[in-house]
Amino acid sequence: MMIAYKSRRLLAAVTGILLTGTALAQQDRPPPLPIEPTGIIETLPAAYPPSWFLVQDAGFFHMSDGKVYVIDTAADTLASQVKGTFNVSMIGNITQSPERGEIYAAETFHTRGSRGDRIDVLTVFDQTTLAPKGEVILPKGKRFMGMPERYALLIMDNGRWLGVANFSPATSVTLIDLDTRKIVGEIPTPGCVLVYPTGTRGFSSLCADGRFLSTELAADGSVAKQTRTDVFFNSDTTPIFEHPAVIGSTAFFPSIAGLVYPVDIGGPVAKVGEPWNLVPEAERAQKWAPAGIGLIDKDDQGRFYIIMHPDAKDGSYQGGGPEVWVYDAAAKKRVQRIKLQSWGLSLAVSRGENPVLMVVNPADMSLEMYNTGSGEFIKTISGFGQETPLMVNGSK
Amino acid sequence: MKLLDKLFEQQTRHLAQRSSRRGMLKAIGGLLVGAGTIPLLPVARAAAADAPGRPTEKGDPASCDYWRYCAIDGFLCSCCGGSENTCPPGTEMSPVTWIGTCRNPADGRNYVISYNDCCGKSSCGACLCQRDEGDRPLYRPDKTNDINWCLGTTSLAYHCSTAIVVGVAFEAE
Repeated sequence: MMIAYKSRRLLAAVTGILLTGTALAQQDRPPPLPIEPTGIIETLPAAYPPSWFLVQDAGFFHMSDGKVYVIDTAADTLASQVKGTFNVSMIGNITQSPERGEIYAAETFHTRGSRGDRIDVLTVFDQTTLAPKGEVILPKGKRFMGMPERYALLIMDNGRWLGVANFSPATSVTLIDLDTRKIVGEIPTPGCVLVYPTGTRGFSSLCADGRFLSTELAADGSVAKQTRTDVFFNSDTTPIFEHPAVIGSTAFFPSIAGLVYPVDIGGPVAKVGEPWNLVPEAERAQKWAPAGIGLIDKDDQGRFYIIMHPDAKDGSYQGGGPEVWVYDAAAKKRVQRIKLQSWGLSLAVSRGENPVLMVVNPADMSLEMYNTGSGEFIKTISGFGQETPLMVNGSK
Repeated sequence: MKLLDKLFEQQTRHLAQRSSRRGMLKAIGGLLVGAGTIPLLPVARAAAADAPGRPTEKGDPASCDYWRYCAIDGFLCSCCGGSENTCPPGTEMSPVTWIGTCRNPADGRNYVISYNDCCGKSSCGACLCQRDEGDRPLYRPDKTNDINWCLGTTSLAYHCSTAIVVGVAFEAE
């Protein structure tokens, strides 16, 4: 009882002091904050600035919860770098149509999480809201599902159609009309995978026997003609990467040993040109070779950027490397050698006159930014919730 | 280049070029079912290595440097409730897969290893192992580990990868 009485007295005394203090302070303070409306949701501009990147976190440790972060690399604080996110389920792939203000994602769901009926879907995200604005149900169990690829989806025919690469493991391409959001048809690409731009109304796929299969489409989306090019590599002994850098009407496909094949994709059939060596002769003894996942990209000045590693050996071609080499594609010449802070797994280059280079550092899964002119390290972007950002893309 | 590997690859490519998609799927299925029915070698553990005339292998199946994992990229089922050749409880083994050719240091032979994925639960998360030896990009499905091989299973959720001995590779000439 005595303790309770004392406590009450103490409480009364403290309250008295606080009330006195509040009364005094009120005389010096500005007016109170206005009552704020609730329910306001941010939106993004219709056109993304060149400094914005789409960072694709595959969610390798929880694949049904993949995520794409929209990151402004020009901003200096984390709070201003993160512009928003959207989910992509089951290691899906994305591509962007700035003309339509849309981002497409091939996704897969089960009705009960990791089990139940399977649904494959092409989701249409609105660039300004990062929310779905439409979808196309894809044929069940076909769409390519694997480590992220830039050419698993392809916009073609002046933005009218979208090709979705299938691998079940039978290979084909599902053609979607982006105006009506309906499936136009499915084109078999036996023995050949993915969907690379070719001509205005067609695509090419890369084949196990070391050549391209080029598909020309008729106006109604049916196959007008399919042509197999000459064999130009051996998938056992002289394999190439399936990741090209496309500059104008030329796709540059690096080989695992360090050559690069220029492929003319301006016409309806891919034309493979003479390969040249990425590694200057004096440096070949160190066994430099390309490596990584999204290991190559280009800028708008005719240069391509590729992750390189020394001491290349069997099994090292997906592991990334400590340097990014930059080439003038027309001159077939290395123009810059960027030494990374530690290691790079994937990269992307922004569009426009002053491109910046983003590199995924697999050691801590952070993003590193580099000046493409000087090669100097600018800053690290990290801590925004990313776990496995295996593919990065400059916004379009 | 091992002959059995080559045979597999050539057959796959031949089928890919000549068959319809459905036919290709069926043929690959046939090949893989065929592979699956090759009796597993009566593999003994290192403890039995001293017994003469018995097959041997050495190493820790929960370690990434275990000989069978030469072409793997994924979570080792040995760390997920399964083993190097069995799936964890409640999962489903994919019948469609990629293969590698790995050298068993205990007997000096090369073996064809089938990396059947276990599916139906989300990523195991333990013992992530990437070695990629002999691995090729997507256009060589028989030798690529970058695909989610939970194909032909009721659930596409990838959980972990096994490394099953499905045959002795022919020696190079």
